[in-house]
Amino acid sequence: MSVAAPYWPQKYRGERQACGPELTAELLEISDDIDDPVIKLQFLREAIDGQDAYERRVQRVPWAPIRRALFRLHGLRALAPALAQADFESQEIVHYRMLAARARVRRLMGGAVCAALLVMPLLTVAVAWRWNSDPPQPLTAATVTPAALRAAPPGLAAPLAVQPAAQSFPPPPPVAEFLPEELGQAPSEIFRADSGKDWEIYSNGLRVETGFVVRGKQRRYRIGDRQRGLSAEVYNQPVGILFHTSESDLWPLEANYEGRLRQSSTELIKYVQREQAYNYLIDRFGRVYRVVADETRASHAGNSVWAQGEDIYLDLNAAFIGISFESRWQGLKGEPEEGRALPITRAQLIAGRNLTNLLRQRFKIAPEMCVTHGLTSVAPRQFLIGYHRDWATGFPFAAFGLPDQYAQPPASVAVFGFEHDGNFLRAVGKLNPGLITAERMLTTEAQNRGITLDALRQERRALYQRWRDQLRGKRAAASEAPLQQVAVK
Amino acid sequence: MDDRHDFGNEAAGDVSASAYANAATRIGLDVGTSKVVTAQGDSRASQAAAQLNAFIGVTYTKLAEVTLQQNRVPHFRQGDELIVYGSAAERFAHMFNAECRRPMARGILNPQESAATYVLECILSMLVPQAPRKGETLAFSVPAGAGDMESELTYHEETLKHFLRSRGYTPIAVNEGLAVVLAELANESFTGIGISCGGGMCNVALAYLSIPSLTFSIAKGGDFIDSSVGQVVHEPATRIKAIKEDDLDLTRPSEDKVIKALQIYYDKLIQSLVDELYRTVTRSQKLPRTDKPLPIVLAGGTAKPHGFRDRFEEMLLRRQMPFEVGEIRLADDPLTATARGTLVAALAER
Repeated sequence: MSVAAPYWPQKYRGERQACGPELTAELLEISDDIDDPVIKLQFLREAIDGQDAYERRVQRVPWAPIRRALFRLHGLRALAPALAQADFESQEIVHYRMLAARARVRRLMGGAVCAALLVMPLLTVAVAWRWNSDPPQPLTAATVTPAALRAAPPGLAAPLAVQPAAQSFPPPPPVAEFLPEELGQAPSEIFRADSGKDWEIYSNGLRVETGFVVRGKQRRYRIGDRQRGLSAEVYNQPVGILFHTSESDLWPLEANYEGRLRQSSTELIKYVQREQAYNYLIDRFGRVYRVVADETRASHAGNSVWAQGEDIYLDLNAAFIGISFESRWQGLKGEPEEGRALPITRAQLIAGRNLTNLLRQRFKIAPEMCVTHGLTSVAPRQFLIGYHRDWATGFPFAAFGLPDQYAQPPASVAVFGFEHDGNFLRAVGKLNPGLITAERMLTTEAQNRGITLDALRQERRALYQRWRDQLRGKRAAASEAPLQQVAVK
Repeated sequence: MDDRHDFGNEAAGDVSASAYANAATRIGLDVGTSKVVTAQGDSRASQAAAQLNAFIGVTYTKLAEVTLQQNRVPHFRQGDELIVYGSAAERFAHMFNAECRRPMARGILNPQESAATYVLECILSMLVPQAPRKGETLAFSVPAGAGDMESELTYHEETLKHFLRSRGYTPIAVNEGLAVVLAELANESFTGIGISCGGGMCNVALAYLSIPSLTFSIAKGGDFIDSSVGQVVHEPATRIKAIKEDDLDLTRPSEDKVIKALQIYYDKLIQSLVDELYRTVTRSQKLPRTDKPLPIVLAGGTAKPHGFRDRFEEMLLRRQMPFEVGEIRLADDPLTATARGTLVAALAER
């Protein structure tokens, strides 16, 4: 007797998340053997519709072969009602396959239970040993004075005044990303507190995973000055930080997607390692991975320009450390080219801030040298800014204890006469104050010198081209220069 | 509406309940802006029937009414007008060098036409007979919501359901893009992108194992091309439509100003479609993770001209999609693909 399917008005309309890769693989394998499109559709719908809870339950099983066997059995069970009208032979094949799948599940589960029984005594001993060697410390509640936070030196989280609490705190809300603003005591300086084979812990709570780290090419760069031209010295210490988005696939930050979130991050780390794309990657759970060693350069900046005072930096791979957040530059509603960065998670923000503080302290990096890729990236042939647009707008500089870089006139425009086009304008929504100031600076200078703005731009672009050619010519020479010629800035 | 006299059901006479009485056959219905198409049959074979989703008003005279009745032209009287509907409306439009009116616009009931619901029901009556068994499943296509049209879409869908229930069916709504996937991508386990380019809009669905992971529509279609070209070459849209459906080749350069304009506006439509597809897939967090290339199927009357697929492929491949694009192909029969897909959905319901 067949049972009528429950009424589901959105069955063939409402957008839904596709099922997970393991269930998909099993369903595809079964589905490939079905010729009739109607039976195929019945089978797939029977196996997928309303089965989210079952899939979630199976995904909790820690051993992949058991999960796959359970999904296969689930698929075959779903096929049976679809074949109710089919010929006897087909039904019999499915019946035998189902029996085989059931037997396989039993075998695998039996094996897992036996293995668990064997391992359990060892686990118990290990847990008991840890319990005795590491007794839990009592916790005391404390409150924080906001004035102490405001008095903190820039660049580091504030050392906090701690007062005994009159009463205990209510339990924290059950959201992993929640953290009361500016709560807790921070160290006066950041130092490495502990380390292991694949990790380092710093005194500000930052944990850096070092299991993926590779060495890139030596940092070697020169600094430009509008009056004196390019420096003869070659420098090898990072002087800035460039923030990026990874432009990778993102999954919802929900419990159901933990597997996909992990898989996505792992694939991304491997990609970043292979391409030596950034020095650091911060995944959506706030884990910080050092991928390319600090002393060496990653290929993260491309054609780019930034300045600090009179010092002008071109092609920032060597001079800047690249930090990428697992996030994406997204299209805005209305226009294909428009964009904004998806918000980063609270965990990424905290980790990013701690990492920035560590790097700034270690390499004495000025706050105005911490900037986003989108503010520095240029297209040299077209003399346009914003070739890459990750965080061309919307980076939370204030939350990182950094000045608003969107208010700084970018050197690409003010010094080298680059322009923006309509695509860039659509992407950022409106021009940031720094860009407007840079344009005004150029206009004023053109007026003061009695030349047209175009003529001034041509002059500046020629300067950029000259420096770029020089750097390209000399870069090869610098990379062959003996180390004693390399000055440390 | 009291003075309406409907002669459509008797006049059309191209379907009967007995044609659908076979227990193993069901009906899939594509309610498009330009055409209403049905597919009826079982999982092995199906037959399609279509009517133009249009109407035209002619001045009432007794003689005209008798002529229409004698020639079995579906019509009804509304006040001092005779409303001719269905495919016959186009013949009258050509005859009077006038534009057909549409009960639907942008994929849903046309709010500008007061008689829209009644005309659509008349056209549907020509194609959908009374259900052979009470509660028989019938699947019909609905567009994906585009921006601010959710409330109109609900009204459109409920109106159709109300009508189909009145004829004894249990209606289920199927997204138009998904219907293309169901019709054409069975060998790929209903995984891929279905695009239905209709008269009023283009509907897109990215399905994974038949589950619509992403759906959207753009409110541009064949009508947009017809009216835009009509405006620039000063010809009625109905004539442009006829030229378009005759022998348009998008790959061959032409000196003819109508063909030239058609090629320009086709390019504009395809570009809008590709842009929206790119924007939606790059923004979506529901995109399935798959290493396999996703096939794309193009369907609908607007996708029929020779070269449409090539132009689409050319523009799509200029974009860096977040998935690997597999084969891009035209549906076996672009005009009936959506209806055939809804038929698969109807047959799959137990």
